[in-house]
Amino acid sequence: MPADIETKQIEDSVAKINNEVAVGSDLEFQRRWWRFEHILWLALTALVILDALGFFGRGWFAKAEAKTPDGSMRIEYERIERFGAPSLLTIHFGQNAVRNGGIQLWASDSLLHELGSQRLIPQADRSALDGHGILYTWVAAPQPDSVQFSMQPAKVGSAWLTLRVPGADQMRLKIAIFP
Amino acid sequence: MGGVWRGVFGYLFLVLMVRVAGRRPGKQITPFEFVFVFFAGGLTLTSMVGDDRSLLNAVGLIASIALTHFLMVWARQHWPVFGRIADGTPLVLLEKGRWRPDTMRRMRLQHDDVMAAARDKGLERLDQIAYAFLERNGEISIIPAED
Repeated sequence: MPADIETKQIEDSVAKINNEVAVGSDLEFQRRWWRFEHILWLALTALVILDALGFFGRGWFAKAEAKTPDGSMRIEYERIERFGAPSLLTIHFGQNAVRNGGIQLWASDSLLHELGSQRLIPQADRSALDGHGILYTWVAAPQPDSVQFSMQPAKVGSAWLTLRVPGADQMRLKIAIFP
Repeated sequence: MGGVWRGVFGYLFLVLMVRVAGRRPGKQITPFEFVFVFFAGGLTLTSMVGDDRSLLNAVGLIASIALTHFLMVWARQHWPVFGRIADGTPLVLLEKGRWRPDTMRRMRLQHDDVMAAARDKGLERLDQIAYAFLERNGEISIIPAED
């Protein structure tokens, strides 16, 4: 015996226009939606302008430069990074960075963990764990006057990167990493 | 785990963008609107997948999108307000020989679009139309005037 099929009497549940055509139009709601759309278009325009200027990374505003007071390092970097997007951090060494015929650079471990350092150009002759960071050493002549870290940030948030030539002033950089 | 949230966000963001960018799918869609739909979809996919090309990532993403879609449909069925937000509401474009210019302008429609839908119904002139509606799916439906 098949089960009874449920049925229900139809009702005049769809709003009519001119009492003729059942349309279900809601112009009041649509007017509110149009106001919302207007605000959203303004927000999207602001988003595109800010993005083009580099407020979300990779642009004029994101590029930054820092210099230690003693002139041992000048650093070109991006103060705003994007998660998983490749970027470069360049360190230019001053004359006083050369000690005993070589150059050493200490970088905090955020360079590896948060900022996802992938490659160092030129490669250091030696690199060793040192405290909460890594000590890179270039001894072979000619010493590089600049080195470049190729990075791919691995965490969203903000990262503090400390760079130091041993015996000279250190530089602490705050870098924001956007999703 | 991250892939699942990226999938949910990507789906909801695309729904919002397509909803806001215009309600003209189906017969009224123009070639440059196709460009928007495919371009937006392709770009969203790139950031959803990232460099994780694993099968598990794909399964997680598809499952999360399917679940989000199911929840959207469920919410639409249970809360009429949510349905209006997600789908919009039918709009009157032409009523007994009079246009609704504000609606036409805001929905970025032209008289030609209504006439194209009318020709589909075998009508030859605008005065043969009693009502023209922009439906929730973007189609223009026509009710002919009685002779």
